[in-house]
Amino acid sequence: MATAQPVARKKSSSQIPLTYVVALVPVAIALNIVGGQINTALHLPTFLDMIGTGVVAIVLGPWWGALVGALTNLIGSFISGPINLPFAVCNIIGALVWGYGVRWGWGKKYWSFFLLNMLVAFFVSLAAVPIYVFLFGGATGHFADMMTAAFLAMGQNLIVSVFSSNILVSLADKILSGFVALAIIEALPASMTQGIELPKSTGLSRVLWIAGGIVLGLAIALIVTALQAG
Amino acid sequence: MDKKVKTVGFKEGLGAGIVGLGLIYFFLPSMIQKIADLDFIQSEPFAMLSGTVLVLAVFTVAAGLVVMLANLNEE
Repeated sequence: MATAQPVARKKSSSQIPLTYVVALVPVAIALNIVGGQINTALHLPTFLDMIGTGVVAIVLGPWWGALVGALTNLIGSFISGPINLPFAVCNIIGALVWGYGVRWGWGKKYWSFFLLNMLVAFFVSLAAVPIYVFLFGGATGHFADMMTAAFLAMGQNLIVSVFSSNILVSLADKILSGFVALAIIEALPASMTQGIELPKSTGLSRVLWIAGGIVLGLAIALIVTALQAG
Repeated sequence: MDKKVKTVGFKEGLGAGIVGLGLIYFFLPSMIQKIADLDFIQSEPFAMLSGTVLVLAVFTVAAGLVVMLANLNEE
């Protein structure tokens, strides 16, 4: 009797109803694609194509997130051009860092969740730079290309220029995406998110923390835009 | 009345991630050719394909290591 209880608890926390997966994965892919399209249409200094990846990686697990990332860029490459497909690598890395990061306790506090988003930005940029440089010669038509050109004009080499511009845009994007994902997760039914170690706060405090994170992401995006304009 | 809910766990998630990687491998050659056909691309399709496959291979190895190291016998 004493040994049966913990086993039952562990099983219930690690097993998710299939309906959650069937409901969440397609919606997350759609969210990523719509976010990416809005970003492209408005020429924003972000990417916005990883919000759904973040939600699924945190709620369902890192490898479900990897599936969402892979399918997002695969479907995106049919919709908006083949350039999207190689960047599936970045989406998968983001899913793994978010998913494992939260499971290793980086999501317990708001400040550690903020650091986790910065870590996601770093690893995603690390993966994106070789793709930008060796595949596309440093430019794909994104907002960050103008910053890359500015860094090149300052005398930096191509790899440093691409990394510098990408990390700035990626920081704004992942902080924004991470906190929007957190807001979506908070709105999901409690049964879907039980067992996930996320920041514990209630009411106004929770709203303020999440809004603060989103505003910070937007502020970095604005600073990036201002730097570019200057 | 006692309706059993079908559940999935870490094992299925890992499998789904590997399927996602497989789908990318599946469409990669044709997409790389399309990328190579773009006006501003100067790289050779073979170099692009090799580079992308090398990066994706890292994920495949990582997924394989997770299969070996994770405890998948929860059921």
